[in-house]
Amino acid sequence: MGTWIKSIGGYLPYLRLDRKVAARELAWTGLSMPGKGLRAVASWDEDPLTLAAEASRTLIGKAPPAAVRFASTSAYFTDRSQAAMMIDALAFPRSTRSADAANSRRAATTALLDALLASSGEVIAAADKREVQPGNPSQLAFGDGAAAVRTGQAGCAELVGYASLTHDFIDRYASQEHPTSYAYEERFVRDTAVGEILLPTIKAACDMAGVTPEDIAHVALAEPASGCWAACARALQSNAPNHCATVTENAGDLGAAHPLYGFGLALAAAQPGEMVLLVGFGSGADAMVFRVDEEVPGASTMVQALGKGQRLTNISRFLSLTGGIDIDWGMRAEFNQKAQATVLERIGRDTIGFIGGRDSQGNVQFPKSDIPVNPSLHTPETLEDVRLADESAQIVSITADRLNFTPDPPFDFGLVQFTNGARVLMEMVDRPVTGFEVGQDVRMHLRIKSKNSSLGFRTYFWKAAPLDRPALGDA
Amino acid sequence: MAAGIKDKVAIIGMGCTRFGERWDKGADGLMVEAFTEALADAGIESARIGAAWVGNALDDINVGNSALPAAHALRLDRVPVTRVENMCATGTEALRGAAYAVASGAVDIALAVGVEKLKDTGYAGLPLRTKGVQNDLWMPYGSAPGTFAQLAGAYAARHNIDSSDLKRAMAHVSWKSHQNGAKSPKAHLRKAIDIEKILSAPLIADPLGLFDCCGVSDGAAAAIVTTPEIARELGIDNPVTIKAVQLSASNGNEMQYGDWDGSSVPNTQAAAQRAYAEAGISDPKADIDVTEVHDCFSITELVIMEDLGLSDAGRAPADILDGRYDADGDIPCQLDGGLKCFGHPVGASGLRMAYEVYNQLLERAGDRQRANVELGLTHNLGGAPFNSVAAVAILGRKD
Repeated sequence: MGTWIKSIGGYLPYLRLDRKVAARELAWTGLSMPGKGLRAVASWDEDPLTLAAEASRTLIGKAPPAAVRFASTSAYFTDRSQAAMMIDALAFPRSTRSADAANSRRAATTALLDALLASSGEVIAAADKREVQPGNPSQLAFGDGAAAVRTGQAGCAELVGYASLTHDFIDRYASQEHPTSYAYEERFVRDTAVGEILLPTIKAACDMAGVTPEDIAHVALAEPASGCWAACARALQSNAPNHCATVTENAGDLGAAHPLYGFGLALAAAQPGEMVLLVGFGSGADAMVFRVDEEVPGASTMVQALGKGQRLTNISRFLSLTGGIDIDWGMRAEFNQKAQATVLERIGRDTIGFIGGRDSQGNVQFPKSDIPVNPSLHTPETLEDVRLADESAQIVSITADRLNFTPDPPFDFGLVQFTNGARVLMEMVDRPVTGFEVGQDVRMHLRIKSKNSSLGFRTYFWKAAPLDRPALGDA
Repeated sequence: MAAGIKDKVAIIGMGCTRFGERWDKGADGLMVEAFTEALADAGIESARIGAAWVGNALDDINVGNSALPAAHALRLDRVPVTRVENMCATGTEALRGAAYAVASGAVDIALAVGVEKLKDTGYAGLPLRTKGVQNDLWMPYGSAPGTFAQLAGAYAARHNIDSSDLKRAMAHVSWKSHQNGAKSPKAHLRKAIDIEKILSAPLIADPLGLFDCCGVSDGAAAAIVTTPEIARELGIDNPVTIKAVQLSASNGNEMQYGDWDGSSVPNTQAAAQRAYAEAGISDPKADIDVTEVHDCFSITELVIMEDLGLSDAGRAPADILDGRYDADGDIPCQLDGGLKCFGHPVGASGLRMAYEVYNQLLERAGDRQRANVELGLTHNLGGAPFNSVAAVAILGRKD
């Protein structure tokens, strides 16, 4: 019985910082930092859970997976399963098993390998939005993003070899007392990682697959330091491109999601019959060799996503979004919502899953109510669940509110009409340069609804964004 | 339809504080100020008050919840006192409660008082508050200008009007209210400004600029109501009477159902139609002499003119620019400056509107007085266009 990749998905936030603008701004410091390419920057209302949920949206399929595995080094909750929240966000049944993997950038590839070996058909989602500090190279080198894979007993790319190596090698670390990444000297990292970890693991995986490294056509290797794959390729006599480098260049190092995003690009580039090598790094390495039999659904979309979004050139906005500065937003920012567990138990699944209800005459509404909003119905009835997250919709009314507090003004909100009849007052996100318009088509995205920093709690709901994103262009 | 309360209730005394930044008074002191003026106007002692309805919308920054703090402040002697809250329509809701009590015969003389002490919040606009732990999970936290600004885009789309033309008509609404406010001694904002300043003001919520938004103020207003018969016993032979007072509340349809396009406020339409029927008015354009409407934002007043049936659909911008609602126009609107310039202490505004119409009917409006005022309309709107409470009252003279 084989183990297969059935489909793959990725998600990058709308904003992309132009690194050369940031590097120019910080040039006075004399500090060394990346000055080329783009860095994906999450909105204030995105975190690893929302990023991972977005990456997984295309993997829902007709039948639910047996399990959802969530991998991240920056998950918000430390005692609340993000995988369980994802199951509700994606409206999978509660019988779906959940598992959370953390504490290593390698968490996603380890989770993927475990899922492939379990051969039960799972969704593995990885996301990171790591805390960064101005001046540290990681501020510009890291990026925010997610990738997800669906496995199965049949599919488009088959696992033909794998190997893992565990090695408590400290190339960088983050801890409770040092939540931003602390990195060690790059040449030490490169030499040790390549010689002691990457090469032996890759060779073992190739041996198991019965292929030589020269047979590998495409690589997705999450490098702990630049030049690692080049050094490996020289030793292995491989000419294969490392697609993770493309992710690094155009979005940044995505942490736990990095190898899976690069894997998506490698799968998109691979021709039927070609071999793809996936390598996750962190406290050791996982290496997997896949034979691609046909185009993997979702892979080409991940390539396109790299080139779409909005360039971010305002450094203070970037610093605000990434926690580099703490802006005093005034009195309106003092307001904190306190979510109650009793309410979340009652309607939390409907909000994070965007589940409305269909009444006995077919009208759909959100939220549900005992007596339907349909004016021809006047008595309580039970509404049938209808998920609105994937329904097409249009803006009925809209404004850009500059009085209300939001960490990234303005606060766009208005009425949204769904094609199935539901109508919901919603926030809008991923603001086009020209703003939103009445009649505009929109798509739903899971986002943070509220943050209560004093209680360390967040709630989640869906917000509307334009159907497509503009091309980033060269400007 | 029910028979209604037309001419069953007389207003025999009214009071209204100066609105604005009343650093000198708390909510209790403001109520006392309005109540004292109303008692003097009616010529009665406070012991004659048989019941009271107290309106304030934001209990946490006023005298506190329940009616008790108001009963304390006014030293009402163990009579029934009820606190009402219906967002920005609270003031008219208080008047409605008092009027219904008198009309029913349950009370001889009743008090309606509305108050708000917004300047104790520290906010420049209305304060931010929870929408309830259940709604907080999904409902956006838009500001008041944010919710009403959406009328503009929807109105422009429905009537195919260029947004710059609409903006100019909205600016005229504010310009007119500033002109009127300058003649209104108790108004918060008493400075006339020119159109270009309004048009070039910084945006608060697209397309509403600073001068498209009403003042946020402290203030109180009060009305003493009784039967026309008791009014005559008190020496008031031709009192101002309530011709109609109606209220309409959203049932969720605008937000959740149907084909409402966001360009009007259906509750204003419903409340107005019921009020016209109650008052026996078949042609409001001809019969209504003055109006005080809920101009929380310029676009709101523009849309209200159509919802009240005073402008035909799609004609409000032209009517406004033609001066139809100016102080010297056919149907002047906001002769006292309106919410825009008189100010908007939420719980008091509905009663402040009635105060101006009452004074116009009694020909006591000074520089603002219009000739031959026989019927005046107040319109008080709470919430947002997509989830609102609208109250319409019509006042006149009984004979």
